[in-house]
This record gives sequence, C-alpha cells and structure tokens, in this order.
Amino acid sequence: MNGEKMIPARLDAVTIRYGRTVACDGLSLSVEEGTVYALLGRNGAGKTSAIRCLLGQRRPQGGRAFLFGRPALHSRTAAMKRIGVVPERPDAPRDWTARDLISFHRGLYEKWDAVGVLRRFERFGVPLKTPFGRLSRGQQSHVQLALALGHGPELLVLDDPVLGLDAVARRAFYEETVDHLAGSGAAVLIATHDLDGVEGLATRVGFLEAGRILLEENLERLKERIVRIRFLEGLQAAAARESLPGGCAVLSEESLGGSVAWVVRLEEKAIERPLAGLLGAEAEREALSLEEIFVALCGDGAGNGGAQ
Amino acid sequence: MKRILDIDPKGAMPIWRQIEDGVRRLVASGGLERGTRVPSVREMAKALRVNPATVAKAYARLTDAGVLEMKRGEGTFVSERPPKLAAAERRRLLDEGAARFVAQAATLGAGEEEIREVVEKRLRDLKQNGGKP
Repeated sequence: MNGEKMIPARLDAVTIRYGRTVACDGLSLSVEEGTVYALLGRNGAGKTSAIRCLLGQRRPQGGRAFLFGRPALHSRTAAMKRIGVVPERPDAPRDWTARDLISFHRGLYEKWDAVGVLRRFERFGVPLKTPFGRLSRGQQSHVQLALALGHGPELLVLDDPVLGLDAVARRAFYEETVDHLAGSGAAVLIATHDLDGVEGLATRVGFLEAGRILLEENLERLKERIVRIRFLEGLQAAAARESLPGGCAVLSEESLGGSVAWVVRLEEKAIERPLAGLLGAEAEREALSLEEIFVALCGDGAGNGGAQ
Repeated sequence: MKRILDIDPKGAMPIWRQIEDGVRRLVASGGLERGTRVPSVREMAKALRVNPATVAKAYARLTDAGVLEMKRGEGTFVSERPPKLAAAERRRLLDEGAARFVAQAATLGAGEEEIREVVEKRLRDLKQNGGKP
C-alpha cells in the first residue's frame, strides 16, 4: 500500500445478521479522500449497522471493513486517532459537563485544537457547566460534533447527526461541518434522512435498501441520470415507452388531466441526447431534488426522520 | 455575513455553476464592484452551506476567466479590469446562455415578441442598477 492512495473507509461485501434479520446483505461502499458520501436509506435499511461495522464495533458475519486500508476490527484504536464520530445516539456520560468532556477528550489525542473546540462550544451556545444529560438534543449533538472535530480528523463519520434538531441547530451543525471541510479537506460519511441538508454538501450518494446499495453515484451525475420527463401531449407517453432505449427505466408515472410525467433513470448514453430524438415525442426534462430521487428509488415514506 | 448569492442546491444546475453565474451577474450589474474583496471559499461555503470544494471550483473558473483575481495572502478580489476573453470564447459563452434561454422560452410556449420583450426588460433593469450591458 506504500504510496498508494489510502481509502479512508471501505466496506467490502459486508453481511450482518441479527438472528434471522439481515441488516447488511453483501454491502460494499467506499468513501474516498475528499468526498462527502451521503448514505441514504429508510429506517431499518442498515445504515447504523454498516457504520458500526466500519468503525470496528461489530464483527460482520461475512465480508470485511477497512479504515485507511487496514482491517477495521484490528486497527480500531490506531484508526480512531484519525477519525471523528458523531453517533446516532449521543453517548457521552450523562453526568459529565462539557468541561469534563473536553478535558477527557483532550487527553486522548496527541494533537488537540483547544481554541477551536471552545470556539465551537461558544458558537453553538452550549453551557460548559451543565451535565451532558441535561442538555437539549440539539446541544448534545453540537457537543459531540465539537469534540469529534477537536483532533482534526481525516475522516468524519456522522450517523444521523441532525435527527431531532430544529432548523437553527441543524444549520449551525452543517456550518461547522463545512468549516471543518474547508480547513482540512477531510472525507465525510454521513448517514441521514435530511436530504435537503446534505444536498449541497454531498459529492457522492449511496442509496441503501434492505442492506444493499441500490445505486451509488456522484451527486451531480445522479441529477442528470434520474430526471422528470414531462410530456406536452400525454397521449405520446405510451408510444414513447416503446422507444425508450434499453438500460433506461421509468421509475414512476404521474398523470394529471391530459398531461403525463415520468421519473426516469437514464442510461449513460441517453443522458446527453435530446429528448425528441430519444423518445420521438415532445417532452421536457426537469431536474429532481435529492429527496424526489430518494422517493423514486426507495419508495414512499422518505424524509420521516423522526420515525424510529 | 450578508447572503449575497441565492443558490438552490435542489436546482437543475450544478451548484458550482450557480455560484459562477451568480458572481458573474453580480459583477456585471455592479452589485460587486471592481477591486472589492469577495468572501473566501470558507466564508462563502459556510454562508451557503455547500461543500467548500464546490465553491473552490467556481472560484477557480472565475479566476481563469479573469472575473476574479487571487492575491496571495490577501484573498480573492473582483478584477480591476474587465476580463478580456478571446473573441471566440466570449461568443461561445454568450451563445450558450442564449441557447438555454431560448430553449426554455420555447418549452414555455413563448412567442418571439414575448422573448424579445423579456430580454429588453432585463437590459433596462441592468442599466437601472448601474450596470452596463
């Protein structure tokens, strides 16, 4: 691996079962340097299991997890010096104050940005003397992020970090994440339901369903690949389905009055072609938001981040 | 910091292009005066809550095009002199914008007259805001 570009985080055909329930089913993904990878999936899709396996907290029944090119299970301690984690559920001791937590964490790492950590606590408005357990959900998340960034991690792993946060707290969370990215160019793996929040941040997205990656793509490319096609004449839609090249798929169809719109997955060559040539019908192409793409791929009920 | 650009991450256009176009528009309309400092990549990324790499890409393109200039240790500024684009490149950019606009107008069912009308209105707005067409 000398001189070779080290991939910060990688899962290779990971399978995790809880009894008869399969949480990850041959799941592979890699988070490369400089990317912000958004792992998207409905509740129960396997996001948290995948992350726990990646962090070496759980041994998979099949496949392997790697951190910076080394097996996650065996190099966990060394790797943690280079990783910042914001877990799904805040896991700091409830009776420790922010001040206690800061001094504990600072002792764990060789390099520690004390000024930056304090600045973040101030920015987030987290009181230093209140026990962790008495802070609001938003404040707890902020504390975990402030601590996770203290040692300047090369890989940031965020598991549903803005779950239960209000708009202001969420905004502050993303701003600090962006600030860290600007300073470090770190890789980020973020599992989330907040599709609006990550849309500007993610460079790559993976859609997880039933423990498998349904689709993984560069976000900019994804938005060209999955689009809405609106037919000016609804009647032309049926004929157009026939002329749709192989490899393209209509994910959903809506009709209202005489007009018809599809959400379509286009294959590589079809992306650049004008619709008139592609479909033999007059139609227009519209971009979809990440949330619309998510719903088209993973079914309804997306964005219900609060449901557990 | 005042939010100077309106970016829609959900939009059809890639975010770096929205930033690039936005800055060009602001410079053209006089909203960003020549020689003024623009927010750093980090400031802009935080304000827009977008990936800093995306802002960096837009800034690099704007710098290459001569709209912005980077002064080492001082930051990024709007160029003092209007960028001199090669005639062909200038024409290409102009044409590209026109093609996008005309295509959109056509799908909306706008007639020639209406198309001219909205372009002229935009030109008047630009002049009113102190910009030069």
